[in-house]
Amino acid sequence: MMQRTAESGQQLREAARKLLKDKKVGLVVGYAKGTTPRRAKPAVVKDEKDADRLIFDETCGISLLPHLRKALRAAAAGTKAGIVAKGCDGRALVQYIVEGQLKRDDVVIIGVSCAGVVSPRHAGEKDAQELDEACRRCRYSVAPVYDVLVDGPARTDTGGHGPGTAEEYAAVEEFEKRPAAERWAWFERELAKCIRCYACRNACPMCYCDECFVDQTNPLWLGKSAERPDTTIFHIVRALHTAGRCVDCGACERACPLGVRLSLLNQRIAKEVKERFGYTVGLNLDAKPALATYDEDDRQEFIL
Amino acid sequence: MSSTLRVDKKDLDQLVSALVSRYRVFGPVELDGATLLREVKTADGLALEARALDGPAKAAFFPQTETLLYYDNGTAEPPPGKDKPTAIIGLRPCDARSLLMLDKVFSTGKYRDIPWQRRQDDNLVIGLGCGAPLETCFCNWLGSGPFDPQGSDVMLTDIGDAYIAESCTDKGERFLKTAFKSQVQRPSQADLDKAGEVRSRAQQSLGAAVDVSGVKPALASLLDSPLWDEVALECLSCAACAYLCPTCHCFDVQDETIPGTKQGRRVRIWDSCMSALFTKEASGHNPRGAAKDRMRQRVMHKFSYFVESYGETACVGCGRCIRLCPVNLDIRDVLKKVVSRQYTAVRAEAKGQKSKVKGQNAG
Amino acid sequence: MNEWEPKIIAFLCNWCSYAGADLAGVSRIQYPPNVRVVRVPCSGRVNPVFVLKSLENGFDGVLVSGCHPGDCHYISGNYVARRKFAVLKAALEFMGVEPGRVHFSWVSAGEGEKFAQVVGRVTEEVKKLGPATRLVKGADAGRRVQVR
Repeated sequence: MMQRTAESGQQLREAARKLLKDKKVGLVVGYAKGTTPRRAKPAVVKDEKDADRLIFDETCGISLLPHLRKALRAAAAGTKAGIVAKGCDGRALVQYIVEGQLKRDDVVIIGVSCAGVVSPRHAGEKDAQELDEACRRCRYSVAPVYDVLVDGPARTDTGGHGPGTAEEYAAVEEFEKRPAAERWAWFERELAKCIRCYACRNACPMCYCDECFVDQTNPLWLGKSAERPDTTIFHIVRALHTAGRCVDCGACERACPLGVRLSLLNQRIAKEVKERFGYTVGLNLDAKPALATYDEDDRQEFIL
Repeated sequence: MSSTLRVDKKDLDQLVSALVSRYRVFGPVELDGATLLREVKTADGLALEARALDGPAKAAFFPQTETLLYYDNGTAEPPPGKDKPTAIIGLRPCDARSLLMLDKVFSTGKYRDIPWQRRQDDNLVIGLGCGAPLETCFCNWLGSGPFDPQGSDVMLTDIGDAYIAESCTDKGERFLKTAFKSQVQRPSQADLDKAGEVRSRAQQSLGAAVDVSGVKPALASLLDSPLWDEVALECLSCAACAYLCPTCHCFDVQDETIPGTKQGRRVRIWDSCMSALFTKEASGHNPRGAAKDRMRQRVMHKFSYFVESYGETACVGCGRCIRLCPVNLDIRDVLKKVVSRQYTAVRAEAKGQKSKVKGQNAG
Repeated sequence: MNEWEPKIIAFLCNWCSYAGADLAGVSRIQYPPNVRVVRVPCSGRVNPVFVLKSLENGFDGVLVSGCHPGDCHYISGNYVARRKFAVLKAALEFMGVEPGRVHFSWVSAGEGEKFAQVVGRVTEEVKKLGPATRLVKGADAGRRVQVR
């Protein structure tokens, strides 16, 4: 059972203030209180006084990495950034460094112990205490690599174990028990809601390509309408492009304005990568991304 | 002369059948956690109790994906027309108003959008007033309210076990008188009192309206303001707000040719000015490659350009963009900042700065 | 009387599998004619999108074939491909796309006989599954995309 603290974000604000004051960083990317109940906004703090805005609690559901990228690009060359990193974002940061998107020295990682977040779709409900589905199976409360560790809603002496009590791949295994036709029907039903707004893609820490395959017109890989199968294929390919890179933070599903449960496929792929290649993303700065490398003895039972 | 009827909730199916016999009927439907406008054949599955619609009303007349024509080696044929006019039941006043606004765009007298017309001709809107506005509703800022009849032919007020149905237009009047014959009941005085209560409570629960008359003039002085950089920093540049917005109407037209053939279709799909590629030109130049330019454009289109072209603000205060934006970007906040005049300073490198970034995540 | 014949697309790597297919041809080894061949430099060049688009545009089955591990002309193309294909296959099967529609094989330049066997097996499996319906484009207005 996750032990919660009464932490109010005090240490976090102190840490940010100090970094800005000592000019260790030119900006800090974090969360600020949202304008509607139980929601948080992304915040880019450039001034010590402004650090008072920073919070960390169960409303902090978005991934901050898209905002980190934007803030760094807009800033002068050589600017270092501080970033408030819960467990999943912390793993994503490690993966950024592994993939050459960031140099370790470019960021000061302020690890904060996360006790899970709520989904914004339920944020409006007064009694919604339930954590987002992704958090219920999370194993990583704290960023595996950090420069500063501050107290958050969870105790830091839990060995970094996340708020998840559910089995990591329970949903995947349950789903797999259904017959194929039913599984297909489920996906069709979910994806019938998709309007191709790409909130999932833009909210995902891993989708940082300058030109996304779905936006290309030459060649036109996919039709841009919201009809199937184009929409289905968009989600399959996005899941494949994030194979071995997805940290299962759930930001994509939380971003979806219509509650499409698109991360189930990502979970299945993560399970495959873990079981087949023994790779869990974002834990080790020296790792090689699973789909960018190989082992001569990789299993090939499926090959004729 | 307007009619007022009482429709018991248990008799809702009769109202829906009356509609289905003459119209293609759309209504709010619960779809695994999202409430969207979908075609319905019976009252079963009609989610009138849902507090809000997650998708826009425009979808009934201007769907996300619309085939304009099929082509085959130089010949073209339009898709089969709809044989019945369209009716929507359970539309909130904000969404209903948006249809009137979109009429101004899609049917300007000389130019009539054919797909819009095919559906819009002889449609019927059974509006549903909002007894419990959401925290994100701000229709009252835009001169509307939770029981605004504009855009509805009939307005329903939920009084618990029944709806009070009032006609708002001649068309609505005719519908209540002729199509909906069975179980016609006059509401009792208690019913009408209850309805009045529901309406005033709803009006009160909306926060005080903020005066937005100053927005358009203020915007004129904010062309080069750092306000847009600040707001755009939060934005993910997805299309959620535009697609869910009742008044947004930008679209793209794509040809989808079957590979290896000369057959295919021309399809119209929603597009969003918030997307980085919206203004990308064939040369590769993109006049709104930076997110701050797109953010400015969105606000100015709705609160300035549309006002100039059509005489009203292209925002109905439904709050869907606030509620469903992945990063909680709040247009109310932006409007307050616009009128606050705190951002009149010109950005330091306003002129001549090229955006360093490109691509879907640009900004 | 008109028995349906599946249409199968085969992405064959230039150095091994394509050559193997060619050998099958010159050796007059009989195999089902349902396969349409696309030559690629390496199995590693095959983007999973090719597989999905093939199913979208009217093919009932897909085969991707490359060099045996260790024999790749580009040293490691087939190794990386092997990982990609494993993930693709897991993803498709999870979603309910019939596993018998998408196949991968290693066929060397000297394995004309094996190529014929692989094609035979794939054709048989796809035939049993019937025309592809999942991921197929063209359902609107009753048009099913025809591959010529």
